[in-house]
Amino acid sequence: MTIGLNAMPKLTIDNRSVEVPPGTKVIAAAEQLGIQIPHFCYHPALGAVGACRVCAVKVLEGSVKGIQMSCMLEARDGMVVSTTDADAVAFRQSVIEWLMLNHPHDCPVCDEGGHCLLQDMTVSGGHGLRRYRGNKRTHRDQYLGPLVQHEMNRCIQCYRCVRYYREFTGYDDLGVMGIGSRVYYGRFEEGVLASPFAGNLIDICPTGVYTDKPSRFKGRRWDFERTPSLCIHCSLGCHMTVSARYREVVRHEARFNPVVNGHFICDRGRFAYPYASSPERPREAQIDGRPVAGQLAVTTAAERLATVAGQHQPAAVAVAGSARCSLETLAVLVRICQEAGWRGPVCFEERRTARAVSTAVGCLTSTLAFSLQAIAAADSVLLAGVDPLHEAPMLALALRQARRKGAVIVVADPRPVNLPFDFQHLPLASAQIGPWLDRLAGDIPESDMPSAAIARRLRESERPVIVAGTDVLSTAAVVQAADLAAALGANGKSAGLCYALPGANAFGAALLAKNPDSLEQVVEAIENGQVKALILVESDLCQRFPDQARLERALAQLDLLVVLDYTASPAVAAAHVFLPTATVYEAGGLFINNEGRVQQALVAMRGGTPISQIGQGDHPPRAFRKDIPGAGPRPAGDLLGDLAAAVIGAPDASEAPSPLAGLAESHPTLAALTAASIPPEGRLVLADDPGRRVLPSADEPNTHAADTGEGLELIWTDRIFGSEPLAALAPALQERQEGDTLFMARGDAAAWELADGDRVVIGPEASPWELAVRVVDNMAAGTIVLPRLPGWQRCGLTRNRVQRDAIRKRS
Amino acid sequence: MMDTPQVLFKNRHVDRIATRDEYEAGGGYEALKRVLAEEARDEVQAAIKEALLLGRGGAAFPMGIKLSTVAEDAPFPRYLVCNADEMEPGTFKDRVLLHTDPHQLIEGMVLAAFAIQAAKGIVFIRPEYENAARILEREVALARKAGYLGEKILGSEFSFDIDVHRSGGRYICGEVTAQLNALMGRRPNPQQPPPYPTESGLWGQPTVLQNVETLCCVPHIVRNGATWFKGLALTEAGAGTKIFPVSGRVNRPGCYELPMGIRLSAIIEEHAGGMLPGSEFKACLPGGASTRFLTREHYDIPMDFASLKEAGHRLGTGAIMVFDHKTCMVAATLNLMEFFTRESCGWCTPCREGLPYIRDMLRRIENGRGEEGFIPILEQMSRQLWNAYCAFAPGAVSPLESLLTFFGDEVREHISARKCPFGNAPGGPSDNR
Repeated sequence: MTIGLNAMPKLTIDNRSVEVPPGTKVIAAAEQLGIQIPHFCYHPALGAVGACRVCAVKVLEGSVKGIQMSCMLEARDGMVVSTTDADAVAFRQSVIEWLMLNHPHDCPVCDEGGHCLLQDMTVSGGHGLRRYRGNKRTHRDQYLGPLVQHEMNRCIQCYRCVRYYREFTGYDDLGVMGIGSRVYYGRFEEGVLASPFAGNLIDICPTGVYTDKPSRFKGRRWDFERTPSLCIHCSLGCHMTVSARYREVVRHEARFNPVVNGHFICDRGRFAYPYASSPERPREAQIDGRPVAGQLAVTTAAERLATVAGQHQPAAVAVAGSARCSLETLAVLVRICQEAGWRGPVCFEERRTARAVSTAVGCLTSTLAFSLQAIAAADSVLLAGVDPLHEAPMLALALRQARRKGAVIVVADPRPVNLPFDFQHLPLASAQIGPWLDRLAGDIPESDMPSAAIARRLRESERPVIVAGTDVLSTAAVVQAADLAAALGANGKSAGLCYALPGANAFGAALLAKNPDSLEQVVEAIENGQVKALILVESDLCQRFPDQARLERALAQLDLLVVLDYTASPAVAAAHVFLPTATVYEAGGLFINNEGRVQQALVAMRGGTPISQIGQGDHPPRAFRKDIPGAGPRPAGDLLGDLAAAVIGAPDASEAPSPLAGLAESHPTLAALTAASIPPEGRLVLADDPGRRVLPSADEPNTHAADTGEGLELIWTDRIFGSEPLAALAPALQERQEGDTLFMARGDAAAWELADGDRVVIGPEASPWELAVRVVDNMAAGTIVLPRLPGWQRCGLTRNRVQRDAIRKRS
Repeated sequence: MMDTPQVLFKNRHVDRIATRDEYEAGGGYEALKRVLAEEARDEVQAAIKEALLLGRGGAAFPMGIKLSTVAEDAPFPRYLVCNADEMEPGTFKDRVLLHTDPHQLIEGMVLAAFAIQAAKGIVFIRPEYENAARILEREVALARKAGYLGEKILGSEFSFDIDVHRSGGRYICGEVTAQLNALMGRRPNPQQPPPYPTESGLWGQPTVLQNVETLCCVPHIVRNGATWFKGLALTEAGAGTKIFPVSGRVNRPGCYELPMGIRLSAIIEEHAGGMLPGSEFKACLPGGASTRFLTREHYDIPMDFASLKEAGHRLGTGAIMVFDHKTCMVAATLNLMEFFTRESCGWCTPCREGLPYIRDMLRRIENGRGEEGFIPILEQMSRQLWNAYCAFAPGAVSPLESLLTFFGDEVREHISARKCPFGNAPGGPSDNR
């Protein structure tokens, strides 16, 4: 029988027939029937290599017959396969027996025990009796850094780790050494794994070679409350499973999502959770620094706010949220401001950022917005003013997959961008990027190289994608990036657009805030006496405000500072009234990611001080008391609802509209949104038609503020470890933080008489910030790049340009 | 004893390497000159195909068919790799060939490259063959000087050159795809086709890989014709001569060029000088360590690929290791298993873990600690290792499987007597190395 090339092969597996797309492997075809064929080396994200041999089946009819590996065998029309054939079962049993020759019987003390694929296969394969008389081969383990624990004796040589690490993530400091049964997976020398995606080794290792170091010995899989959740440590909204035990989040694992993160997450997301159970976390309400009952704090805050509003005017009360607030919290913030006549809410620290994000949100349409998985399938990508590895790490991994499939990737960015694949870097100054994007979209003369070649390739590719950031681009450039994507998509191509945004819910914040206001304007209003009271809600804004001295002066000028938060931020210490809030683990919530996808984090635990902090070191930890200590924090939305009721005189809490109902009022595209209406992969809240953008693009797009003048243009840049305020509280991630480095182009460094490796000091003599100078060739001339690493806001560099005398060479 | 036609060994000397002049005097490079002048590319391919030249490295794949799988419109550059990574225990024919008449290989490579229009040839050579590597480098330079290599060879439009690449030195590098990985600086794990190397080999380009001896046959076939080549064999199925490296319990171990299809008994008795005094033939490995033991029953078998296949055996590399009646076959098999266990690349489970398992049981049996229950496990595993990733494991269990078939009683005697009946002392390493 002959079949067409595109016909769906129909085959029989265990007497049941199934039709699959051409090219499907037998193992995947069986899965469609619900038949799980055992496998170790095969992984959907890594493909098949046929190394472990445990997926053996017997082919009864087909061009090849007998025992075959189902991961390597393509499904063909008329094929008859048995997974239960005696020879196949016996062979699979032998494979398990072979794998167990050297595997230690240390399951009781192995952290993988209970969710170990080898354990499952050994039990289900019926290998219960050891026949092999020889000794077990042993290895020495390596120190691989603060995140991943190495236990090589448990290795079954499935090669998943090195295939993932080298091929999928593009780092080469982990590899295979030796041959035969001495095969060793590790680094050439002990040391910290370089890949910021190394944590996924923990998930993909089918045994316990790589285990989660910070959460080692915290419990068994079945001890944990495991809940589907979201990562809130950048704007991508990767899906995770949260494990909690004894009122403490103890582990994050990647949760498969076919459109967003695929199978993996980055190390920042995986290890960011300790802030929720930090002993420093404020759990009690305070008035003027004294602990009080939560309800008293709410009524006191309401009274004092009413006083300020009465003495001046309602707009003398300003409200600041942040891009990490859930949609529910933001909805209440918007409603309370509307109804009470307060100013805000603002969710971004600087005017420029607020405008850029609002504009980006306005530019995304349902046809243009590309998910991470769509980006991984792109054939040509242009990145403009974005540093994926540090601003949205999993984006870098998606881009690498596109590159592996042959996509050509161009980066236009003033910074020395580093990505785990080869790409063409044009170190344009930030002000040049927008006009350059415009040139690409228009008619460009062939003599204008390399731009003409880049433009031609984008036009000729089938799935071009423009990725832009909002950190270094001007608002105009954000629009120009969208225009280029729209122009590429105009001739029937599937062109995509993606923005990296500053915060897990930056999209939601920009969508709900009616005007792109920022903390910068609020500070100005405090300084000129217009604002007398400020409510700060889960606000990173203060921490990301570039001029701390000015901010502190402004806060000190206030009549009233009300802070709602779950970390011990400096603002909490300065608050007149403090209300402790619940983290995403205790409150759950909706978040809109950078693509415009509403996704839901469920409540992962009830809250309260972790038992490890209230017990006396007893095991198992027991604390016999009637109350739950430290259970004061409440979801910010609920607290604000109470506050609103007290201030505006709205109906009491039981009759107040639910946060989601409020949401629907806040924005028409969110009207039909309910928690139940959001499918697991999320739901896009974008308009289909470019003419009806969800938010009108901000008018009068401003130019980049810092293009002329003396000195060098200052660019603050995020680092994957250290810049995100919540993750920066995790001790293990603090170890991964790189040293403070200042980047300069070669010519500028020479002019300023600085050399690579020089130690320099910035900031006041009392609190100097010491950095190492790195002189590089791959960045824009006339630019100086500084990292947002702890302490950056206190260095005194508050302007957009840096003069030579601001940098003192250390002798 | 030298009454058989000497083709590849025509210029063999006890004490020196044949010079280029000597090779040319015997008709060397004539075929190349004529073929290049006549642009007879198709003729080379057709002659090799018609001559039924089978790969001499062990797999016996017809070289003509391999060449024809490089499609006419296949991309350039194309590569030719000469496999000189001779590591099969008992096999030393390629080394002798390289030390005998290097220009024969060079001409063979240029002709094969011409047939597929390859621009680059690489000799992948075992690091222990450092002398041979230096000889080749020297003679390649001489050939280049004489215009046989380099740009526009002998004034034709065809350009081709040869590099000598020293292997890192592991048995698995002899496997085609592993060798290509090694050449690209990757870990030398085999890689299951598709794609076949002739489609996508070195750096994704069409690549043909052939053994030294196979390539050495090429100039003679092109010069004298396929009919002549086939006529060299004694059997209908065979073609050409074969170099048989003979070792073990014989009077004159060595490397002999003999007609394909010569009887095993004739090789041992007439050419290798017969069994050692006081030794009786018990068994031999007919083609290197990864073939099955051949017993007295097949003492007169014609040594060609087809005849051995018909008898359930493999000619492999043609390396004959002779065992006498005083040799313990368990010890002999264990020795081979030590080698294979050490040399497994570690890619797939059956080979990486199954071989140490088998070795452990054989060690116990040989040391008098074997159990009757080991035998069914050994039988099962020798079958199951055929489902490994590449041909390494099936080759590795071939001696074991024939040990159990032909010398089962000897194995059981070890177990029941709780010692080696041949008096071998217990011992040997017991770790995983």
